[in-house]
Amino acid sequence: MVNENLVKDVVKEPYKYGFVTDIETEKIEKGLNEDIIKLISQKKEEPRFLLDFRLKAFKKWQKMKEPDWAAIGYKKIDYQDIIYYSAPKQKEKISSLDEVDPKLLETFDKLGIPLTEQKKLTNVAVDAVFDSVSIATTFREELAEHGVIFCSISEAVKNHADLIEKYLGTVVPASDNYFAALNSAVFSDGSFVYIPKGVTCPMDLSSYFRINSGDSGQFERTLIIAEESSSVSYLEGCTAPMFDTNTLHAAVVELIALDDASIKYSTVQNWYAGDEKGIGGIFNFVTKRGKCLGKRSKISWSQVETGSAITWKYPSCLLLGEESVGEFYSVALTNNLQQADTGTKMIHIGPKTKSTIVSKGISAGNSKNSYRGLVKIGTKATGSRNYSQCDSMLIGDQASANTFPYIKSQQPNSEIEHEASTCRISEDQLFYLQSRGIEFEEAVSMMVSGFCRDVFNQLPMEFAAEADKLLALKLEGSVG
Amino acid sequence: MEIIEKIKTNISIDNQTEIQKICLNKLQSSPLPNPKSEQWRLSNKSKLSTLLDYSVNEKDSKFDITYPKNSQSTIRLVIGDNCQINLIEENYSINQLSEDKLVEYIKEQISCFDQNENWSDLLNLSLNSTKNTLGFKVSGSEIPPIEIFSNASSNSLNAKTLIIFLEKNCDIDLLQVNLGKDNSSLSQSTFLFLEENSSVNHGVVSYGENKSNLLNSLNIIQQKNSEYNLGSLHFKFNYARFEIRIKQSEGNARTNIKGMQITKKDEQISTYSKIEFNGPNGFLDQINKSLADDKSHAIFEGSIIVPKIAQKTDASQLSRNLLLSNLAQIDTKPQLEIIADDVKCKHGATISQLNEEELFYMRTRGITLTEASKLQLSSYFQEIISFIPVSKNRWDLLDKLLNEN
Repeated sequence: MVNENLVKDVVKEPYKYGFVTDIETEKIEKGLNEDIIKLISQKKEEPRFLLDFRLKAFKKWQKMKEPDWAAIGYKKIDYQDIIYYSAPKQKEKISSLDEVDPKLLETFDKLGIPLTEQKKLTNVAVDAVFDSVSIATTFREELAEHGVIFCSISEAVKNHADLIEKYLGTVVPASDNYFAALNSAVFSDGSFVYIPKGVTCPMDLSSYFRINSGDSGQFERTLIIAEESSSVSYLEGCTAPMFDTNTLHAAVVELIALDDASIKYSTVQNWYAGDEKGIGGIFNFVTKRGKCLGKRSKISWSQVETGSAITWKYPSCLLLGEESVGEFYSVALTNNLQQADTGTKMIHIGPKTKSTIVSKGISAGNSKNSYRGLVKIGTKATGSRNYSQCDSMLIGDQASANTFPYIKSQQPNSEIEHEASTCRISEDQLFYLQSRGIEFEEAVSMMVSGFCRDVFNQLPMEFAAEADKLLALKLEGSVG
Repeated sequence: MEIIEKIKTNISIDNQTEIQKICLNKLQSSPLPNPKSEQWRLSNKSKLSTLLDYSVNEKDSKFDITYPKNSQSTIRLVIGDNCQINLIEENYSINQLSEDKLVEYIKEQISCFDQNENWSDLLNLSLNSTKNTLGFKVSGSEIPPIEIFSNASSNSLNAKTLIIFLEKNCDIDLLQVNLGKDNSSLSQSTFLFLEENSSVNHGVVSYGENKSNLLNSLNIIQQKNSEYNLGSLHFKFNYARFEIRIKQSEGNARTNIKGMQITKKDEQISTYSKIEFNGPNGFLDQINKSLADDKSHAIFEGSIIVPKIAQKTDASQLSRNLLLSNLAQIDTKPQLEIIADDVKCKHGATISQLNEEELFYMRTRGITLTEASKLQLSSYFQEIISFIPVSKNRWDLLDKLLNEN
């Protein structure tokens, strides 16, 4: 018999990113109204069209109701008790990393993010976002040589207003849902990527999001545009300090792929999840959507979700272009009192479009892990194909795993396959590994890593190793 | 006009039974099911309200359908007309339940109803005074197969309720046939209670004519070591909704379900199933097939609920769908909700059209396309039809289905 306590002990690694950086920040007062939005817009010296976009979104948000259909429960969020803009105080304009507050660099150093010059060898360009603003973006010049634009969205608003005006809100309109509307009204920063025609981005791009302040929400917005025949791989990481209050994170990510372009978007989400009693933690309400506009374009989402008290996230693909491809690979791990309602939407609109969904959910402790996915084949999507696979693993007898796949087909000349299974860590397998001299904890983490292999294979190398380690840490002490 | 008003105009206030009053009260808070709820989200609202357009018919007019010949070896019952049954034979007995007993049981059931989930039952019970309720208890062995008919006559809304108790160690074959006439609506609610070690092979065959509507709900409770096998077939309804709710009250029971729905023209037929395991070692094998042609819409939503107590549950659910026309629609949502950790649960769903390679193969062997499609469909249908008890030889279901095509 597996010793339940032993297994539970395996997952109890403390959250190691839970420190707070003591840095002087500039915050605006709590609350949300038109004046606050005008103030944010003014602070960021935004053009008129963006302020209008924000105000319109705010009006829509006021009329909307918070969604309640997800299989999650949380105490009501007081939207007036949140600070919507918080930025570390720094000199007006940063021309090189040397001018960045050393404390900030130290923070990212602690998080293992290579911002300083000597660490740049890893060949990953990083945009680091601290609370509401972007701190630094590395490798800019190198990228610019290839015509790639990689900067914070605030800079893009100033320097590439035409692209922002053309594409912002075209994939996730402001009225899309409650949290997207909120984000559209108050988004503070985020990343902007533009890959010109025919360019394969020479290095992986990465954004690192850090919430530092306990009472401010984080509302970042990412926009990636891949022109014809271009390709890019983008990574995203997130951490936050430990507070015993809940912090709201409502982000919007928009991807646009034109003819023959491909975008790979990988996330390792490790926001603070709250303690064992469910106190504190991030409420993560994210809208991520990609539009395969061009023929033969491809958007691939891969995510490893291990943090957040609440995760509400459905990275989706709108497959408009002929023969376009959408992919979704996900590992979601919940422990203690975490709740995750996550999945994807694959909307097949164009002919011969293909999508693949592989979702692995692991629930331990008293957590709740739901897969919710929609596959829709429209009337014009002849010859389309979808394959979905969702597997759940239950650890301990208090955790729950749900699967809600919605499938809708209006096109006979298409094929949809869905399969799902639920299992637990088998005692036979554990026993076998242990009898070969492998320690219990290691055996468990080997099995979990094997369970997630299909997804890890899709992650960029560095991330895959990190994700594997992260899962092992998160699970320490929870296997039963 | 709201349904409550319709019912009230049909039934005089003085004659309402206690159950009707309770159900009417409950319905008053949501006269039409809440379209925001998951169970009713996809229901075609205009079709659902036409279902309620006909006036309530308590008395059965003569129903002129040619039933297949009755054979000596089966017991045939038609709900309505104050249908009575009391049989005491050497090996078995079938006893009609007293009205008090029925009322007591129904009240108990109503107390655990969920407004959205059991809306069809609430409607059924509020429309039906006891005249169209048939309730009996079966015990003993070597029980002959039982056929039960429910029907709706033209231009009317009929509500029929069936309650069956199966005593310990009792096995039966039961075929329920629901027939809808032109422009009619039928509300059929069935409550089936299986005691320990009992088993039922249950067939449900529902077919209508032009513009007939059906709300068919099954509530099954299985005690331990019981076995419940359901084969169901729904076709030719303007709007039909088949709800299956099964509760394995202590686990340790077996459930097999094979269902099929066929939609054509602008019909909408849906199946909603919810299987709850309230104890360990439960078993479920479910397959639901849909076929949608022309401009029709077929829906399947199945949920399997495995709470913490239901360890070692083995449940599988498969939804297979054929979409035969550009304008038809299929929605399917097989879902799992699991808390117990030592379980084997899986589900799958596919949507496709007829297999072209197989069709091509048959055509190269000199079989016409029409014949080849029929052959393929017949194998698709056969799996379900062969699972329906009693009827299969006498009801020519396969012919009926194929010749409709």
